[in-house]
Amino acid sequence: MKRFGPFHIEPVQAPANSWVLTVSVAAVIAAFVAAGAIFWAFGINPLNAYAVIFVGTLTDRRATPEILRQTIPLLLCGLGLVVAFRAQFWNIGAEGQLLAGAVGGTAVALFLPLPGPWHLAAMFVVGCAAGVLWGLLPALLRIKLDVNDVITTLMMNYIALFFVEWLVHGPWKGQTARGFAYTDTFPATAWLALIPGTRVHWATLALGLTLAGLLAFFLARTRLGFEIRVLGENPLAARYAGINPLKTIVVAMIVSAGAAGLAGVGEVAGIHHKLLAPDQISLGYGYAAIIVAWLARGSPLAAVLTALFLGLIFSSGDVMKVALQMPFRITDVFNGLILFFLIGSERLLYYRVRWAPGQAVPDPSR
Amino acid sequence: MRWVIVLAVLVMVVSLAATGSAQQKLKAGFIYVGPIGDYGWTHAHDQGRRIAEKTVAGLETVYVESVPEAQAEPFIDKLVQQGAKVVFTTSFGFMDGTLAAAKRHPDVIFAHASGFKRAPNMATYMADFYQVYYLNGLMAGALTKSGKVGYVGAFPIPEVKRHIGAFALGVRAVNPKATVHVRWIFEWFKPAAAKEATAALIAEGVDVLAFTEDSPTVVQEAAKRKLASFSHYSPMQKFAPQHTVSGQLVHWEKIYVDFLSKVQSGKYTAKNLQDVDYWWLLAEGAVELGGDFGVPINPAYKSRLQAAKVTTPDLGRLSVYDLVMKRQAQMADPKMMFDPFTGPIKDRKGVMRVAAGKRMTVGELNTMEWAAPGIVGPWAKEP
Amino acid sequence: MIEYLLDTVVRAIAVGTPLLWAGLGEIYAERAGVVNLGVEGMMILGAFFAFAVAHTTGNPVVGLVVAGGVGGIAALLHAFVAVTLRANQYVSGLALAMFGIGLTGVLGRGWEGVPLLATLPEISALNYLSVVAAAGLWFVLYHTRAGIVVRSAGESPAAADALGVNVYVVRYLCVIFGGVLAGVAGGFLSVAYRPSWTEGMTGGAGWIAIAIAIFAGWNPLKAIWGAFLFGALYYLSFRLQTWIPPELLRMMPFAFTILVLAATAGSRRGEGAPEALGLPYVSGQR
Repeated sequence: MKRFGPFHIEPVQAPANSWVLTVSVAAVIAAFVAAGAIFWAFGINPLNAYAVIFVGTLTDRRATPEILRQTIPLLLCGLGLVVAFRAQFWNIGAEGQLLAGAVGGTAVALFLPLPGPWHLAAMFVVGCAAGVLWGLLPALLRIKLDVNDVITTLMMNYIALFFVEWLVHGPWKGQTARGFAYTDTFPATAWLALIPGTRVHWATLALGLTLAGLLAFFLARTRLGFEIRVLGENPLAARYAGINPLKTIVVAMIVSAGAAGLAGVGEVAGIHHKLLAPDQISLGYGYAAIIVAWLARGSPLAAVLTALFLGLIFSSGDVMKVALQMPFRITDVFNGLILFFLIGSERLLYYRVRWAPGQAVPDPSR
Repeated sequence: MRWVIVLAVLVMVVSLAATGSAQQKLKAGFIYVGPIGDYGWTHAHDQGRRIAEKTVAGLETVYVESVPEAQAEPFIDKLVQQGAKVVFTTSFGFMDGTLAAAKRHPDVIFAHASGFKRAPNMATYMADFYQVYYLNGLMAGALTKSGKVGYVGAFPIPEVKRHIGAFALGVRAVNPKATVHVRWIFEWFKPAAAKEATAALIAEGVDVLAFTEDSPTVVQEAAKRKLASFSHYSPMQKFAPQHTVSGQLVHWEKIYVDFLSKVQSGKYTAKNLQDVDYWWLLAEGAVELGGDFGVPINPAYKSRLQAAKVTTPDLGRLSVYDLVMKRQAQMADPKMMFDPFTGPIKDRKGVMRVAAGKRMTVGELNTMEWAAPGIVGPWAKEP
Repeated sequence: MIEYLLDTVVRAIAVGTPLLWAGLGEIYAERAGVVNLGVEGMMILGAFFAFAVAHTTGNPVVGLVVAGGVGGIAALLHAFVAVTLRANQYVSGLALAMFGIGLTGVLGRGWEGVPLLATLPEISALNYLSVVAAAGLWFVLYHTRAGIVVRSAGESPAAADALGVNVYVVRYLCVIFGGVLAGVAGGFLSVAYRPSWTEGMTGGAGWIAIAIAIFAGWNPLKAIWGAFLFGALYYLSFRLQTWIPPELLRMMPFAFTILVLAATAGSRRGEGAPEALGLPYVSGQR
């Protein structure tokens, strides 16, 4: 324990929620201040810039639904990653699993005509399975051969990217696409309904919120969820308790990769209504979802809030582009800074500050 | 005294009315698909925007760069919210988004580049290079010693295919045995890919290069090996002053100024654009031959092109230099006395694609998938 | 046939050299036990600063030096978070990668399309230097005391600590070294390989460098052949386009990395990952 006058700084095992929130908010504010320096370097008054951004993002009736729209894939991927990270399965491959889901959904949309609502349902099921399939190889390699999952999932992202490119330039290139790199547009039964006046495909959103609730219950109340939590926090204890790491990692993979696959289906069925170039399908959602999961600190319900927050960041990036005529990469600057400050503030979580002005006697445990 | 006041009031009223009509403030928004620094498509549109802003009185412009296709609509909404009365969307992929936005903003005027869907308040526009590529091809055919000409292509879409087709037709018009070797990089803007593709083509023996990529990479790479190339889109001759023969240049401002002036004068409204489709070529000055403005053929290559002679069915025997200038004049003439895609033309498989005496229509040009004779290399979705 | 091979080898070296520089740096960082996923960000920062400085000063070598410095500073941040704060290394690296790409995209506005006259030749002494450096770094890693110190920090930091090695310092130095090399690699791209600046110009090279480090089994000598293999495959994806879909060829380096990882996993020691890779180290009880 360290003492600075009347302040005592002591380590804690499990930080209180309020402290976690305080530290997280402080980190985000610090990131905003750092980003403000960049605005200032561009000759823009940072306070003015932030005012414009908040007004433009939050008060514009047209813009607010866009926040929700960007939140949907962030939420689904982020939820999956919450579970994966809890099990210490470092799934950096949400981006590729999202694309795999998009491919699966497209296959059903274009080649498996089913009547009415069955079509969309099949798309989601197949897309989810495709995502899981994409995460299977890294998971197996981790379980059987202890191969680093960060690298394998990352590599799978690139393989997925080139696979989608091959599909849209080659075998799945649309007849009606005038030779551009798109598949044909999906039939009407494969279009997700939107909230009128917006571009929010509410079915996927509902899916995400339901999943949040289910996963919260799963982690807190089921045995499998308990095993995942223990495996993540204390692998040694998990081994002594007889928890099978193979099973838990596979479950973590299925949840995270499947959720990302669902996000992919949502994007192609709700927004684009076709398969197109991979960097148009996902605007980096898979990587931003890592921030979503990290900020949520292991809680699926908190992930709903953090996904909204990241959706806000994405949207404010758009406002910056238009209102402030900033280069489009400014969103990456924000995301990077926020993540970095969050990570940097991790240590602080495990200390707490106590106010005890009366203690004048030095602590013998020092 | 009273007369002075009346006169003053009259002067004021007249001058107010005059300024009122001369300075109709108009705000136009531009949605770009890439960064304005790309030295290609987006850069050229932005140059057009700047020139238009200086030329059209009372015009104020706003732009957004690197907009993902799915986000065309929200950005259009933002621009409209900022007061834009005209919105230009500059990429094929923005087509559906623009159409949807046009329906939602019936009193805003939209214009979509390189597309084919229109609405009462949405026009389309395009400045196409195929004529200029034909002229480039004539020169390439004359300059190649190995008989192999190279083309680094971006995406195998009709626009690029027709450019390569026109280029190949030009090459073969001068050198009937020459071949045009194509490599695709599947990006509009990827200098590293363009570099390696150029190296691959050169390794196969090509000694003259043309391309569709938004950077001067191919020009520089070819120049490093002392090979000739044709600049693309922006004036790239300055990157290789001794090795750029000619190229294609664009003047989007011609279309922008024309369109915006007509909006200002009331000729174009948000109700009568259903059939407004700009398909502007050499005749309208929307495109220009050359590697730099005002330099249709690099003087360094003039003598070589004058020495090369070719026999044509309609102009007799003349030097390639003269042929290029004559064809350019024929195509720039509003009566368009010559078109490269005049039949009979068979594709590289031998199938007749353009009947004798007929010219390809704009619709056919926009959906062209076949490969002209002489083209060697992968050709996606070849019919 | 010979010409074909020679041509491919030349292109492989041209494309592969920056990958090799960055890969070597990552090998050292990971050998000391710290994963640096921020290589892409450090490379692109290096690329931008090298270009800007070379343009302003007219001297490409100064540009490369500054690039290395910038990469090192970024790596210092990563080291601070990963080693001193003992936070999650993967996320910290990712954050830096995102930040680097974003910052250069913002700063680089207006630098695009600017021609650079103060360039280095595409294939020059620097390319061969990378091979020499790889050999040298291999020698240091396996045959000198310094190398043993580095490896021990990554394999069993507690044992190293007990023997008087300051694990923190070793890790800091190795991570910074990795960042410097990544910055130089990026600078090489914008000053020699393709003298220009365009945002995002590294195009995933940083991730490939990380893959190379692993593909090579954390062995600098094998990294040579890994980097040039990746370079060759990139070039061949254009050369062989008539017969093989280019996307397939471009997929291959990434698929290869997974294959190699699977094949070398669990094999004899020295081939696998450093034991303590990715795990923060705490000296004694604090």
